[in-house]
Amino acid sequence: MPIAAQIKTVIVDDQSTMRSLLRACLRQIGVSQVTECCDGEEALEVLKRVPTHLVISDLNMPKLDGIGLLRAVRGDPAIAKTAFIMLTSHAERNCVQDAVKFGVNNYLVKPFNFAGLKTKIEAVFGPLT
Amino acid sequence: MSAEHPEGWIPPDVMAGITQQFFEECEEHLALLESGFLRLEAGDHDPETVNSVFRAAHSIKGGAAMLGATALVGFSHRFESALAHFRTSKTFPSHDVLKVFLKATDQLADLVRATRAGKELTDEQLNAASRELAGLADTTGTDTSPVAHTEEPAFSPVRVEFEDFAPAEQPWTIDFRPHAELYAKANDPIVLLRELKRLGEMDTVLDTSAIPLLSDLNLEDAYLAWSITLHTARTESAVREVFEFVERDCDLHVRAGIAETAIPPAADPRPVPAPALRPGDASQDAPALRAALQQPSTLRVDLERLDRLINLVSELVISEAALAEYAPKDSAQNPNFGEALDDLSQLTRDIQESVMGIRAQPVKSVFQRLPRLVREIEKATGKTVRLTIEGEDTQVDRSVIEGLTDPLTHMVRNAIDHGIETYEQRQKANKPAQGSLRISAAHRAGRVVIEVADDGGGIDRDCVRAIAVKQNLISADAIVAGEDIDNLIFEPGFTTADKVTDLSGRGVGMDVVRRSVQALGGRISVSSRRGAGTTFALSLPLTLAVLDGMLVSVCGQSLVVPLAALLETVQFSCDNVHKVGPNASLLAIRGSHVPLIDLGATLGYKPQSQLSADGIALLVEDDAGRRVALAVDDILGQKQVVIKSLEINCHRIAGIAAATILGNGLVALILDVNAVMASQKIGLAQDERLMAHA
Repeated sequence: MPIAAQIKTVIVDDQSTMRSLLRACLRQIGVSQVTECCDGEEALEVLKRVPTHLVISDLNMPKLDGIGLLRAVRGDPAIAKTAFIMLTSHAERNCVQDAVKFGVNNYLVKPFNFAGLKTKIEAVFGPLT
Repeated sequence: MSAEHPEGWIPPDVMAGITQQFFEECEEHLALLESGFLRLEAGDHDPETVNSVFRAAHSIKGGAAMLGATALVGFSHRFESALAHFRTSKTFPSHDVLKVFLKATDQLADLVRATRAGKELTDEQLNAASRELAGLADTTGTDTSPVAHTEEPAFSPVRVEFEDFAPAEQPWTIDFRPHAELYAKANDPIVLLRELKRLGEMDTVLDTSAIPLLSDLNLEDAYLAWSITLHTARTESAVREVFEFVERDCDLHVRAGIAETAIPPAADPRPVPAPALRPGDASQDAPALRAALQQPSTLRVDLERLDRLINLVSELVISEAALAEYAPKDSAQNPNFGEALDDLSQLTRDIQESVMGIRAQPVKSVFQRLPRLVREIEKATGKTVRLTIEGEDTQVDRSVIEGLTDPLTHMVRNAIDHGIETYEQRQKANKPAQGSLRISAAHRAGRVVIEVADDGGGIDRDCVRAIAVKQNLISADAIVAGEDIDNLIFEPGFTTADKVTDLSGRGVGMDVVRRSVQALGGRISVSSRRGAGTTFALSLPLTLAVLDGMLVSVCGQSLVVPLAALLETVQFSCDNVHKVGPNASLLAIRGSHVPLIDLGATLGYKPQSQLSADGIALLVEDDAGRRVALAVDDILGQKQVVIKSLEINCHRIAGIAAATILGNGLVALILDVNAVMASQKIGLAQDERLMAHA
């Protein structure tokens, strides 16, 4: 089975449009095991329960934001190894440095497309297909 | 998969769905923006409010960028940038700034809707709004220049080995036997087990072998034990921590691996998992849990599908009525049939209510447009108005909500334009300079009542009367009661405006409002006090689809009288009927008199009123609380009927609200009690005068 089909992904965004877009893009790449969460708090709950390989998270969210989620993930030994890709907008690029500090694996600037997403995931996991 | 879509983008049908979703989400964001700014305007100083409006603007921008809606991206970017200053500096915008933001929100809403409709706003429209936002940003020193694609920050991705990072799960066996002391200290094993379940997947086997016979059972004693297999990546200490507070009050054994003695669940023997996670094998995760996690808590459903369901349920109600109709009259013959039929009716009613519940929406979607409307009218009239909205969570059927926008808009325009006085007039009347407009919604007796109340000058009855006479709505010498004068404003063609204003004097009067409310199966009434204000009340059905009614026969026709309007049924004879005119009779009920109307004559089934010496009548009440008795030939029984609109096939018929199909397949008309009473209005006024003389 190609790696893409094995990757269990949690996508975190407070915007349902963005979640749907991510899900649709991931599907094109071949990643179909996707769980959607609306904020960091919800995602953390899910990550603690469901073994996950990859988190793709928005930066700016209510309750727990992307950086907060990243810190929580890295701070919990049981899930610390989960790969983490941060979604940012152009205006938030300076936050990437913060994310690096807390151990982000990669980042993706909105608006992104299928190819961009694939490149970013492959940079973390190696060739997907 | 990507081979089918060489460009590697999302399939068009999926994309269409996402676009739709985006615009729906935009509406939510716009509502959030507006309510957020209004809260800030009202003095809310919670940084989270600023954050939430920022996020809303940011989300619109982000989504628009993904969908390539350039104009929307540009404008929402300026919006977001102007807001960014307040977010980072943790300061709050002043009232003047908030006014600009609110105006920009309106423009953003226009832009979103234009984009959705595939239209473009003119540059002029866009630039004006952009300039103001840019002006804001300038004073705060924020950059609002359009999104520039600058260099990406220096960053090298962190590689992970796919096989490497997955958390290693390990099975643990936990034997847990609570002592009596554990229960005595008010600890509950279920709480502990739930806590344990948070650590991973677990199988639990309850050991009940220690429970004695009932006669030997000591209620204070503990007999239960649990054997638990837990798959978790956590350490033993994390597992033990769950039992930290009860450790002394139980037997607890925690050990790695799966116990030989643990009884596997009979139906699904769990294979011993390898220590490393097997990511490809989804079936290893508790399927229910996965499903629960992936299932969003809400679901967007195509309205058409929902409507189809409603129609089907309506047909079900009719079929059920038909079944009841043909049920064996002799219940002894088949006693179970009646019972089964009762069950079916109950079920049908439950299904119907559930389906109606799905269609119900809070009136918020209509109410949230009102602040903007009020702002626009304020600007056009130069009056200032404080808008209070109450009960916006009141649920009403979607179709009612859709039909509500126009009449409500019109009423708000009227209230501010005609109702609330000018600044000078208010000062003279010793009223606060700012007018007040209260719009509320509430459930009352199976209907929804929406009130629009202003604190303006009230209805000038002399003026209304003079106009009504001039327009030949009433004769110059007609004696019309006070409230009836107020109600004249609903007459077609009636207008009090001596000057036609931009806002409400377009020849579209309250009669249009009344008609659109009636089309919703609703009623409108007005109460007014000179100098103190006017209140319009809309009473609307919760649903447009079904109605509880009393089936009666008049001149061989079946009619349904809505139960909501029905007070009681009365028998009359020459003893309690008093003739007070050639076509007018009064019925005495327990010391009071109500007009007795021959329903057959009113609806035109017979040329003129011929009340028999004795008969049967329905005592009904209209929205304003006025009562009349409607003489009918026979009462056939109470029925729940499905409303079928007549207006699709026939035009509106005075006195008839709609039609329905009975169980026997015949069509019955549903009576519009208010309309029947209104058609008697002038007559009633005369009757009242006669009564006063009596």
